[in-house]
Amino acid sequence: MTTETILKGTAPGKHRPAARYPRHRQLILKGNYAAAEAARLCRVGFVPAYPITPQTTIVERLAEMVAQGEMDARYVNMDSEHSAFAAALGASLGGERVFTATAGQGLFYAHEVLHAIAHFRLPVVIANVGRPSIPWNIWSDQSDSLAQRDTGWIQFYGESSQEVLDTVIQSYLLAEQLNIPVMVVLDAFYQSHTSENVWVPDIGLVDEFLPRRVPGPMSIDVANPKSFGGLVPPEHYNKMNYTYWRDAVQVAERAEQNAAGFARLFGRGYHNVEAVNIGPHTKLVLVTLSSITSTARGVIQKYPDVGLLKLRLFKPFPKASVQEALKELHKEAVLAPIERNFLGDREGAIFQEMQRALYGNPFRMYDFYAGAGGKDVSPETIEKIIYLARNHPKDVNWVDIA
Amino acid sequence: MKPVNEFLIQDEQVFSGAVSCRGCGWSLLARHLSSILGPNTVYVLPASCFSIITGPYPLNELKASVVHTLFAAAPATATGVRAALDRQGKKDTTVCIMAGDGGTFDIGLQALSGAAARGENILYVVNDNGAYMNTGIQTSTATPYGAVTTTNPGTGYKKSWPKDLMGIIAAHNLPYAATCSLAFLEDFRAKVKRARDTEGFRLLMVDGPCPPGHKIEPGDAIHVARLAVEARLFPLYEIERQHYKLSYKPDAYLPVEECLKYQGRFRHLFQEGNRQMLEDIQEHVDRHWRKLEALEKLHMEEEVTDKKAGYFI
Repeated sequence: MTTETILKGTAPGKHRPAARYPRHRQLILKGNYAAAEAARLCRVGFVPAYPITPQTTIVERLAEMVAQGEMDARYVNMDSEHSAFAAALGASLGGERVFTATAGQGLFYAHEVLHAIAHFRLPVVIANVGRPSIPWNIWSDQSDSLAQRDTGWIQFYGESSQEVLDTVIQSYLLAEQLNIPVMVVLDAFYQSHTSENVWVPDIGLVDEFLPRRVPGPMSIDVANPKSFGGLVPPEHYNKMNYTYWRDAVQVAERAEQNAAGFARLFGRGYHNVEAVNIGPHTKLVLVTLSSITSTARGVIQKYPDVGLLKLRLFKPFPKASVQEALKELHKEAVLAPIERNFLGDREGAIFQEMQRALYGNPFRMYDFYAGAGGKDVSPETIEKIIYLARNHPKDVNWVDIA
Repeated sequence: MKPVNEFLIQDEQVFSGAVSCRGCGWSLLARHLSSILGPNTVYVLPASCFSIITGPYPLNELKASVVHTLFAAAPATATGVRAALDRQGKKDTTVCIMAGDGGTFDIGLQALSGAAARGENILYVVNDNGAYMNTGIQTSTATPYGAVTTTNPGTGYKKSWPKDLMGIIAAHNLPYAATCSLAFLEDFRAKVKRARDTEGFRLLMVDGPCPPGHKIEPGDAIHVARLAVEARLFPLYEIERQHYKLSYKPDAYLPVEECLKYQGRFRHLFQEGNRQMLEDIQEHVDRHWRKLEALEKLHMEEEVTDKKAGYFI
């Protein structure tokens, strides 16, 4: 597919409503191209790249945009994800706005550097297209990013390509406000390689939301030499972690404020979590990440007493937002996280975080492993989960095991 | 005594108080290197002795910016730093990696190869002291054949030959690479200047004296470094786009044992029954020297041809 085809867009015609969002174009984009578009709109200046399925078309598209002069950035073909992330560290320390993308094994390989970028307090933003670990599997799974939840990075999960694009834009603002890196996660193939209508804002509109990055005290300044990252004695290290924590606990509130500012400018709103049909009448709440949310949205329309809690911000876990979303829930209600991850423990990552957020609350919670390694979580699977959750579930359930 | 204005270092670019061991090559290396590169430099240091020597937080021995980075990642980190500086119009700022042999021959080799092959505008200085000295003398692929380390102790001394890093580097077709010795300071300084003034990826490999690791007296450090060059254990040469040029040809043939005998890590080689190992090392060293001479000769022949063809660089 040529760039022309990708970017041609769909002109508003008489059979279409007039532009829903002013200062936007509506394009048909795969999720990966939406992520790449977002990096361009954010005026990213440095892209260290390394291919890995199913992320590859993100860095290919960025290469194309840089080569064609649509994007003023330095693009470097690196020798590994470890090196790509280390280059991101160097350029971000140098004051540039940096973007890269990876998936699965690439994210695992970069693990050490993820910690370094976070603890250097660098506002790097990446897209991760979730896939699990070897034995080889390239399909949708969130084990890769969820296994990196303790690296200090902020994590957002996008339900749609629109959300991925919008979240990357919001992520740069958040990252640069707090000096904490952000990982925007999209689903392999269901999102990365699936075309959707996406409203792409004009770059001028993005400029109004996202100011140019201003190098701060943690940037290299040749005229004012400093040393970064040298051996830090215990007292200082402890204090550095304290100041990090002080900023990390602001993430949820800042993210909400930024999303509200985004909604005012762009006309589309987001929250850290989204509650669908959650009220005193709700007997069961499905808890989801990414595109499984869309499937669940459809299914619960048949079940008036089933609600949905979508987690958009996953790290730092938005405890207060979750509690707020569930505040009207009856104490007899049941929560059912749907896990497209397996981290080697009895319960999946979503269950663990939800339990932590809801400690002391009366709700019963049953965990549902479904869809690891890209196994389809179809409407029927969601219905099975609903059935099981209501009819003597086990504490932990594996759905659709042949 | 020479008058002050004849010291090699006219413009000191390090502060006092480096925490190196006595007789360590790193401090001398850093003093000379930084005096030539000047303050308009960003140093990138992977985990290494020098990362410690130049100062734990909040200290900085160098009067320039320093980025301490991950062990495997100095060339990649420097790639990002270089890109940022270039985008900000600071093309005259030197980006200089200072790494040990572990960070270069082993864990950092892939990133080094990547940056070298991309032709990043970076100066890479490796202080080859032949083991992971910072963690306490563990074997690296730069460790010489026959040497004892804490991971090749006693009769389990190293039984494989060190990697020919310069050969690997030459294969990357760099505009400039050279070996240097702290016992030949004027040659070292000339090579640093040449490297500084060359654009692209440049690499200098310095023979690094390490008294605790080599088991030598600190006062003998430079003497042993000189003997390593004289005995052709550490030949001095330059490589420009795969063209080799020997910088120093010893007048007399000095057997390797004259250098090795100072180093406790080779003490067992002088015990009864181990004579063959010394001969093996001598043969290896002689063969390497003949190879360098042949490569230099090839260079001279090619230079004539290239000049005729009009594309000599």
